[in-house]
Amino acid sequence: MIVAVRNASRVFPMAAAPVVALRDVTLSVDAGEYVAITGPSGCGKSTLLHLIGCVDTPTSGTVLFEGRDVAALGESARSRIRLTRIGFVFQRFFLLPMLTAAENIELPQAEAGVAAADRRARTRTLLDYVGLADRADHLPSQLSGGEMQRVAVARALANRPALLVADEPTGELDEATGEHIADVFDRVHADGTAILLVTHNPTLAARASRRLTMKSGAIV
Amino acid sequence: MTPLALAWRATRQYRARAVLAVVGVAVIGALLFDMLLLSRGLLVSFGRLLSAEGFDIRIVATQGFARIGIPESAALVEAVRRMPGVADTAAIAVEAGDAGVGAAHGHVTLIGRSRASASPWRIVRGADLVDSAPGAGCEAVVDGRFPSQFHADVGGSVRVLGLPGGASALPPIDCRIVGVADFGFSASGERTVAMTMDALQRALGTTHGADAQVILIASAAGADPNAIVRAVGRLRPDVRAYSNAEVVEQFNRNGFAYFRQISTVLSTLTTVFAFLLVATLLTVSVNQRLGEIAALRAVGIARHRIAAMLFWESALLVGGGALAAVPLGAALAVGLDRLLRQMPGLPDGLHFFVFERRALVVHLLVFGVTAAASAAYPAWLAARLPIAETLRREVVG
Repeated sequence: MIVAVRNASRVFPMAAAPVVALRDVTLSVDAGEYVAITGPSGCGKSTLLHLIGCVDTPTSGTVLFEGRDVAALGESARSRIRLTRIGFVFQRFFLLPMLTAAENIELPQAEAGVAAADRRARTRTLLDYVGLADRADHLPSQLSGGEMQRVAVARALANRPALLVADEPTGELDEATGEHIADVFDRVHADGTAILLVTHNPTLAARASRRLTMKSGAIV
Repeated sequence: MTPLALAWRATRQYRARAVLAVVGVAVIGALLFDMLLLSRGLLVSFGRLLSAEGFDIRIVATQGFARIGIPESAALVEAVRRMPGVADTAAIAVEAGDAGVGAAHGHVTLIGRSRASASPWRIVRGADLVDSAPGAGCEAVVDGRFPSQFHADVGGSVRVLGLPGGASALPPIDCRIVGVADFGFSASGERTVAMTMDALQRALGTTHGADAQVILIASAAGADPNAIVRAVGRLRPDVRAYSNAEVVEQFNRNGFAYFRQISTVLSTLTTVFAFLLVATLLTVSVNQRLGEIAALRAVGIARHRIAAMLFWESALLVGGGALAAVPLGAALAVGLDRLLRQMPGLPDGLHFFVFERRALVVHLLVFGVTAAASAAYPAWLAARLPIAETLRREVVG
């Protein structure tokens, strides 16, 4: 098991009244699984994804990543998990605009201390994997939305994560381009990486081996 | 990719911000650099003027530097000359007079110099005065503008009258111009004619010998000027002897404090402006890139690396501006110096803005600290960023 969420709740303190984004959620993701979470806006999908992705901690309950309680870890340990064990794909890509596609993919590898030659080889492989071998030296501003998201997927895979988490990965893309991204996720899954994605896109969710629906902060 | 390399790329990516910051810091930095030059410029310039004369001790009649004759100056000169550690002495008298060539004449400053192996001026053309027997023909050294104003150069002659405005009943004396010199302490509008003390006495009509107003002493190599100052004090308690360092220090305490205070206030203000400019630009820049920074943190880039990148961005912006500020400030200093030196009565060789390596070092240090201070808040902002909340806000936004 890669990640286990046990009775997790997340409450955001607000001036007017606290907002309960997650209510007593229990969920686990096994190695190599492909899980899709769907649900209406504001139902807590992204909040759950952030807990699983170790960028947030629950107000109550626990999140165990590879057996370690995420809330008990310090920021640097959580950062290390995100760097080496989790790959993040965002709706808005969030590539560094001043770096080329190849450099964006190299960045997390450099942070993880991978040697320069190994980084370059891995980056070439990943660009080829997402079908962008000829766009290595292009800046994000020179890429289409679909190409940027493929670079983002390659960046997420750079340090060979155990789990790929994706937050609305096709949310900014048209249908055809979204399909291409879905194909990339299928390949990633087929190659043995676990995937957890949240999406409004039913076609993308349909490709997952397990589909969960959320409503009002709970899995239904 | 190192934080420096990332910062460099970010600087190039956000060019408008970079240009604005560098230009702003360059302009502010030029002012700061000028204030640093001004804070000690007069002092350094004054010290150099004193040293340029080749004499490092001066004796005057009283505290201060009023033109008052030193009683029995000739005897004092002889006594000082025999003191250990004294290499040379020159007694100087300064009087107002008239000088002219043909029909052209005007007010001049007359300088009399006693026997000495060197003079407190720098010969730029011709030769210096040669001591000759009393009553011998008069020789003169004139300032650089004298030849063009009076149409008389080396080899020509000048007619000297001991009192200005033709008020003297004495006949003028004719002096042969042997040299043209740079008189460091002469003002730009001032015409100067230097001659031997004997010749000056004849021009003034004194028969018993004019008292010198300043006695200059050059200490021998390795001799302690302060020891000579103390020896003069013991020999003649009624006069005051000062080393150049003491003169400079006295001016530092009194005359130049005003410039130092102005430059301190303006330096502080300019540094605050530079800090505010860069801190604002970086903070705005970080706020525009919150999603990017949150994503970097989410993919595992450590907080300290992002903070380091922002510190380097600040260093590049402030450093670029600070370096550009040096030639800009130097050019501005030349113009301001020219303007300020138009004040009447200032010695020709005195400057308000004087370049010192110390000023450059302080300038770079101040901007180094400014760069760090400017990046502190944006770096803190980036490091403390709540990742999940920021990503959520970015998507909703």
